Amino acid sequence: MVTKERDATGNSLMKLVTGEGWRRGLDNLLRGELEHWFGTRTWWTQILIWALSVNLIYLMTSLSARDDPNFESIMIFNLFLGLAGPIGTCIVMQMAVVGETRAGTAAWILSKPVSRPAFILSKLIGNAIGLAVTMVLAQGVIAYLITVLVLGVALPVPGFLAGLGVQMANIFFYMTMTLMFGAIFDHPAPVIGIPMAFLFVQQFLVSLAPALAKILPWSLVMPLNNSTELPISTALMLGEPVSSYLPLYGTLALSALFVVIALWVFQRQEL
Amino acid sequence: MEWVIDTHGLSKSFKRVEALKSLNLRVQKNSIFGFLGPNGAGKTTTIKLLLDLIRPTAGSASVFGMDTVKDSVAIRARIGYLPQEPHYYEYMSARQILNFTAHFFFKGPQAEIDQRVAETLDLVGLEDKADRPIKGFSGGERQRLGIAQAQVNYPDLLILDEPAASLDPMGRRDVLEVMDRLRKYTTIFYCTHILDDVQRVSDTVAILNHGELVAFGPIEELLAGGEGVAYEVKLKGQTDSVHQLVGSQPWVTGIQSKSTNGLTSWTVSVSNPEAAENELFRLLAADQQVIVTHYHVKEYELEDVFLRIVEGGQHGH
Repeated sequence: MVTKERDATGNSLMKLVTGEGWRRGLDNLLRGELEHWFGTRTWWTQILIWALSVNLIYLMTSLSARDDPNFESIMIFNLFLGLAGPIGTCIVMQMAVVGETRAGTAAWILSKPVSRPAFILSKLIGNAIGLAVTMVLAQGVIAYLITVLVLGVALPVPGFLAGLGVQMANIFFYMTMTLMFGAIFDHPAPVIGIPMAFLFVQQFLVSLAPALAKILPWSLVMPLNNSTELPISTALMLGEPVSSYLPLYGTLALSALFVVIALWVFQRQEL
Repeated sequence: MEWVIDTHGLSKSFKRVEALKSLNLRVQKNSIFGFLGPNGAGKTTTIKLLLDLIRPTAGSASVFGMDTVKDSVAIRARIGYLPQEPHYYEYMSARQILNFTAHFFFKGPQAEIDQRVAETLDLVGLEDKADRPIKGFSGGERQRLGIAQAQVNYPDLLILDEPAASLDPMGRRDVLEVMDRLRKYTTIFYCTHILDDVQRVSDTVAILNHGELVAFGPIEELLAGGEGVAYEVKLKGQTDSVHQLVGSQPWVTGIQSKSTNGLTSWTVSVSNPEAAENELFRLLAADQQVIVTHYHVKEYELEDVFLRIVEGGQHGH
């Protein structure tokens, strides 16, 4: 080891980062999150996993339906992405807070001049971008190509993108829910278990209390029982009218609430 | 006197367990402060309170004169911290970890930040492993990286939790050298179980036991100990009369004596070191029936002091 003489503030061309607000450290943390997603093999392994889980099934369905193309094919894509997406999201996000708290990396990061909201928001924004690109956008492009090349149907691009946006809202709901439970619990089991249980229990909830369908994300991507209405994502992709955007607003409002709770709880959490 | 750390009745309970009981501690600027105690004494709890990773149940602490709860981000901007068990993002290399850490403190030309990172890697001797993912690092390499990331911002206060743990003897020596050289730039507050290291580099020591501060002060004072100053003497010959003479001096508080192979060993405890320094040797040398073969002031080892305080439950501050 060699010790060099140096002054306390160091190099003259470098400037000290200043400020103590909630954004302190966010830019650097976000850069770190995006580096993890796109600077390592994470991005292509995620694209591959979701292509095999969602688009392989869509491809097989499309191949069997190419003589008689109909809306059911694109609904298959929406259904599988609507189910597999949240499961994958819960797996990815459960490591974001509770994983780092347990591993000790959260304590390391927060021993630096970093605000706690910045830590939580970097996990939210960084993973939202990562999942949006690998799970939604990349799978959407593959699905669109399958639709054009196998089914010979060119769906309107703006509507298709809007449908993908609704898929992202569905995924975002589970992201924020997992993030919130990650801040509340210090064990991964409830963090991943509760959102996954909610995903499957939701269809029974909306059957028992149909009013819940107006605020929960189920009807964004799934057809409701005893209803002829298309899920919102499918309707938008096919250019069909959407009966109500209330579930979308309800989902986004609940997601915002989960983020607020996560921020509030993590501010008080002992590391 | 400029205090870098100043705590007042700082306390922390976890459920019903009192991990830290009303800690009053002051750490002087540019000191190397050894924070000692057995496992579970509350050392890491104190560090976490200073970093605002946990909140106090009662009392308060200030670092650089700022409150650790209200001004924690501003405080952490001037601190470097090495955790007891450092954990980093395993997919990053040592250089990436240091670059990532540096960006919490600095903005500016990347080349300048790269230069700072290179200097810090050099400081801890990791330059040849800088671009390897840290997943394969040994315990010692991780510890060096931990010191590097704590030092990359040239902090005004370095908090090191067991800095020499998992290092080989050479690595330990290097860390102590680095700490000693950094003394003029920074204050170092460190926890360790390696008492030899503390005795080598620290100027002030605090001992914590069961969440309570049981000893605190300059290391010389602590080594002098609650037992006070004592002299170790070895005599050959007939010692009865000189024993009586020395024992009758008002500044002598006790003489422990044992004889082996015609040699008598005394430990003479004194209440007035100045009087003892002036008179004790003269009294011994003046007696014609004995020959003084050894004579020196007893030196206490920190380990002796630590064990006496911790095992005896003594409150030394």
